[in-house]
Amino acid sequence: MIDPITGLGIVALMGALATIAGAAEDLESDVGSQSNPNSQVQLAAQMDFPHRIFNKAISGEPPAYGLWCATGATVASVLLAQNMSVIFAIAIGSLAGAILLGLFSVTAHMGRTASQKRFKQPIYMDMVIGHVPSIIAHGFIAVFCIISFSYIMDHVLSHPFPLPLLAFLWGITAGAIGSSTGDVHYGAEREFQNQPFGCGLNAAYSGNIVRKAESGLRNGIDNVWACAKFGGPVTGLALGFTVFFDNWRSTVFSGVNAVIAGLIIVLILILANRLVEVQGRKAYGPFKDEDGGAETA
Amino acid sequence: MSAVEGGPASGGLPPNKVIAIGVIGGLAGIYLTMLNQTFNTTIFSVMGGIGSIFAVVWGADAVRRVCSYGLGTGVPSIGMVALGMGIVAAIFGLILPETGILQIPAILGPVISFIVAALIGLVIGLLSNKILNMNIPIMEKSMIEIAGAGCLVMMGLSASIAGSFAFNDAILPSVVSTGYIALVFIGGAMTILHPFNANLGPDESQYRTLYVAVEKAAIIMVIAGFASLTAIDAVSAALTMLVGLLIFLVYFNKFMKSVHREAYKVVGTGLLPSAEELE
Amino acid sequence: MIDLISIALITLGGVLIGLGVHFIPVGGAPAAMAQATGVGTGTVQLAAGAGLTGLISAGFMYNFLATSGSFTTSDFILVLASGAVGAMIMITVTMFIGQLVYVYCVGVPPVSAKVDVDPITGDRQDIYVSKGTEGHGVPTVSFVSGTIGALFGGMGGSLVYVQLMQIGNAPSDPAIVALAGIFATGVFYVNAVLASYNIGGTIEGFHDPKFKRVPKAIISCLVASLLCAIIAVPIMGGVS
Repeated sequence: MIDPITGLGIVALMGALATIAGAAEDLESDVGSQSNPNSQVQLAAQMDFPHRIFNKAISGEPPAYGLWCATGATVASVLLAQNMSVIFAIAIGSLAGAILLGLFSVTAHMGRTASQKRFKQPIYMDMVIGHVPSIIAHGFIAVFCIISFSYIMDHVLSHPFPLPLLAFLWGITAGAIGSSTGDVHYGAEREFQNQPFGCGLNAAYSGNIVRKAESGLRNGIDNVWACAKFGGPVTGLALGFTVFFDNWRSTVFSGVNAVIAGLIIVLILILANRLVEVQGRKAYGPFKDEDGGAETA
Repeated sequence: MSAVEGGPASGGLPPNKVIAIGVIGGLAGIYLTMLNQTFNTTIFSVMGGIGSIFAVVWGADAVRRVCSYGLGTGVPSIGMVALGMGIVAAIFGLILPETGILQIPAILGPVISFIVAALIGLVIGLLSNKILNMNIPIMEKSMIEIAGAGCLVMMGLSASIAGSFAFNDAILPSVVSTGYIALVFIGGAMTILHPFNANLGPDESQYRTLYVAVEKAAIIMVIAGFASLTAIDAVSAALTMLVGLLIFLVYFNKFMKSVHREAYKVVGTGLLPSAEELE
Repeated sequence: MIDLISIALITLGGVLIGLGVHFIPVGGAPAAMAQATGVGTGTVQLAAGAGLTGLISAGFMYNFLATSGSFTTSDFILVLASGAVGAMIMITVTMFIGQLVYVYCVGVPPVSAKVDVDPITGDRQDIYVSKGTEGHGVPTVSFVSGTIGALFGGMGGSLVYVQLMQIGNAPSDPAIVALAGIFATGVFYVNAVLASYNIGGTIEGFHDPKFKRVPKAIISCLVASLLCAIIAVPIMGGVS
């Protein structure tokens, strides 16, 4: 058993790595437009709004990140078994995972766009060449950090699961968090900056995404620039909190106390959510004009 | 994210032909790894990977057919359930002859896995249609198919990593204990669900979807080959990687060609189509 | 010999996972555009993210308790609780941060479109639904519902894992651990997807009318998990 102070330091390090991983994960999905907000990018061409935004419909983020992390961890494990140094093994493994991500991005973007032939959406090759390296770079940071804290959990905190399995599970969690938090910034705000703020997106405007940038036509790189200001960092916070709180409670406390500590954290978050809810209701609502009106999406 | 709803999917290759390719190719690939034991080598591990490519093609085609009906949830979930069912069945079939509960020759393992996967698929398909009232006409058939395909992909990749499908002697120490099973699980799921998801749209074509299936299955085979470095000798592992890479390159090219042929237009760069052009 | 208790417990775990999915407020793709109440992702994915985080916590706790001596019934419950709390932490953090994005970034008040008054806080809901949407954000009732969902989901996943480990009876054998872990993941996905088909991919929580469909999902998950359990028990017993 490691002593509590070292344990806390390790847990903090894992939390920090998870924070970076979460932020990079979300920003990667903004460059390429993955997961649920991509339904609007897909719809845009159909609604006669052809665009220059990357259409990266690999799959939902959780299975996708499960695969990148499992691949990276598998390659790293093989290299570790050949006695390579830890950092190099994880870096090379993450590179393999990130390149895999790049390959999947290319087929997803080109396949989806080719399947929109009747809506006259062209494929711009400069976008493929310009976006894929950025996707790979963001993906590398995310995968590297996830495998790193999985490795720490595995070898320092002696978690029983083998590294690829642990990285796979954390990859799924990271993807689930990324698509639930940061992607909302991209989907509800950045894609629809042409709609008024403070009331959500009227379903009638679906597909009418912003296609022009400050200068020229908007692309995924412009989107990541905006989302790096809020969506990315808070996603990092979410993954960081999850990893930190979950390990903190079992490092500082043991047995029943760890469970109670966890429940207290949950309770605090429920109350904090209530505060935010009240503030949001005060700031934006009620939308009185629509009172009682039967609304259909 | 299902943009296309209703109606069966159409395409060049008839479903029964794809099923035949998947079942025969997948099982043949898994059984050909037995040549390893016959000739006392590991060079035939590559056959497991090739078998998994056939199974992926079948699985991707089945996903394509069932997802042409609106499922109410995204394409990915059906891939995950396929491998969820597949992994339970695959391990069961491979281990059953070795437990000694029933007197079955070990050689029947993959077939038992396959039948059990089909059975679980049938039950899940029936539950979805009869109890959950999904009312998708081909649900039972598709669930049998994707569970069966998922199971074959799992066994093929595992056999190519371990060099044999004997569970306790080969797969357990070199695929399960090392955790590579996570890669086999998610790699199989993604190769089955990604091709249709990546080509979803009104102008999707079966050939393009299946090119992606072959190409993605081949790239997972390369990684499986790399993982097999810890289980079998380096030459065999390199062979698996090399064959996988070759198949990947050939089919990636085919995919690119079909995109260039079928897209509205492929341009280096340019402005958006003008209003007149969109008319 | 057929281990009936193990089969029953693994089946129960599967049913808990299916039940848990119904509590998790998920709005699918429209929620990512603040057009529907709930977290903006798919049901299966969020449930899996939470449940598998719980599985990691449970694996930790099981390893700690089982390798350091005899494993008693109270230890068993402690592992389940640990898995459940792990999943609850993941989902509350996710919903809370998601809420921050909805309120401070998108600019919408959290509101449910399925009920007129929040059953927990008593806040009026219908007049806060903006035009052309079906609610947005995660109101308190959905938040609490999601927490309950993670409790069931995390507990179910851990139950499957722990019971498989108990049959394997070798807590420090990496093969048994990995097999039980990947099996639990497989069973988790089967049940989560079935439950998600039942609700058609979106639900606001236990106050949603769709929640009345729960019995159907319980029957389906019962049958599917029973099948998986009958298969899984001899496997774990047969690993040498």
